[in-house]
Amino acid sequence: MLTLLKSWAEPDAFQAVLNERSVRWYNACLRITRDPDLAADAVQDALLKAWNRRDEFRGEAELSTWIHRIALNAAIDLTRRRKTRAEEELDPEAFEAPPTSSAESAYTSEALGRDMTTALERLTNKERQIFLLKHVEGWRLDEIAESTQTNIGSVKNALFRAVHKLRVDLKLWRGES
Amino acid sequence: MITDDDLLLYYYRDGLEADERARIGAALAAQPELARRLHTLVARLDAAAALPEVPVPEHSQQRWHAALESAAVQTRAAPAPRRTFTSPRWLALAATVTAIALGLTIYQGMKRPETPIAENPPIESPGASASAEDPAYERGLKWHLASTERQLASLGEATPEARARLVEAIISQNRMYALAAERAGEPQLARVLRSFTPILQDVAEGKGETSASDIAQLNFEMRIMQARLKAGAPSQTL
Repeated sequence: MLTLLKSWAEPDAFQAVLNERSVRWYNACLRITRDPDLAADAVQDALLKAWNRRDEFRGEAELSTWIHRIALNAAIDLTRRRKTRAEEELDPEAFEAPPTSSAESAYTSEALGRDMTTALERLTNKERQIFLLKHVEGWRLDEIAESTQTNIGSVKNALFRAVHKLRVDLKLWRGES
Repeated sequence: MITDDDLLLYYYRDGLEADERARIGAALAAQPELARRLHTLVARLDAAAALPEVPVPEHSQQRWHAALESAAVQTRAAPAPRRTFTSPRWLALAATVTAIALGLTIYQGMKRPETPIAENPPIESPGASASAEDPAYERGLKWHLASTERQLASLGEATPEARARLVEAIISQNRMYALAAERAGEPQLARVLRSFTPILQDVAEGKGETSASDIAQLNFEMRIMQARLKAGAPSQTL
């Protein structure tokens, strides 16, 4: 245990964790930002912060979890700052998912993977981020509210909107009523 | 009446009062149909969230490793005494960085004289805090310039491989701070930071002869920048 504790102060051990876990961190950030550069920046931000606090970690799992969380927070922050899409400035309530033309024309079985992704992309940034943070990352509603700089009520509303859109899209794809 | 939203919050074990949780739990136990509804809903959401993983771009991996290497070098170098460095080329580079740091200090001081400057600012990702109103951005920028100066001073001891890695890390940081400066509405600062990059690349590749005139030009620009900053001109018009 003592060896483990000491090892985090060594760059090689730190780099080893990076090699092993970076794909997960990067993909988590990429899902949040939808921008490879922002995702890479978010991971780097988390890595440098973790390096500065390396003596506080008691094992690889703790270090990796911490970096993962900080990277996600950085990704949310970077996305918020970028604001490339004007509609993100407006009320997300006003932006419902674009209507799907018809189930038979829009979806085919070969396109399952693509349409699953498309379903997620029909969400606004806020809805997508909140859905991913809750459903995939397992964050608590209050943690999401803090990170996205909103309140729990707004988080719930965005989550429910996201779920509604995803449910409708997937039902259409499956040809369900 | 139990809605899908209620079911989902029950599944997440979050956002419901205790009595509401108990009511839904009892309903799920008593009504298999309701349990199936929850199962179907979660399965659909799992499917929507199950995106394939993509590999990390090689250049991003390299950048992260370089940044960590750079941080490790700074950690090791921090308590060590400053080494006298004799290469005219690197002395000029260090002078340029110092001039930029000085110019920025004056500039930021003129912009917000009430803002205190932390003596030991934490390492910040400029991309994550790129705002003219964010003191972390200023601290990070000043830290970057100061650490660049230190790293340039230690390059003489480094092996060619380590030197290349260090310079790459500096360039990477420079790129991010240039981006941050642009986002913060300081295009002049971004330009100066970017113009430093090719000189660093020359250093990494060992091309000393092409750097001298560039360094002189940068120093000249820094003097103009400082003079105008002293005169109170906004950065965008420099």
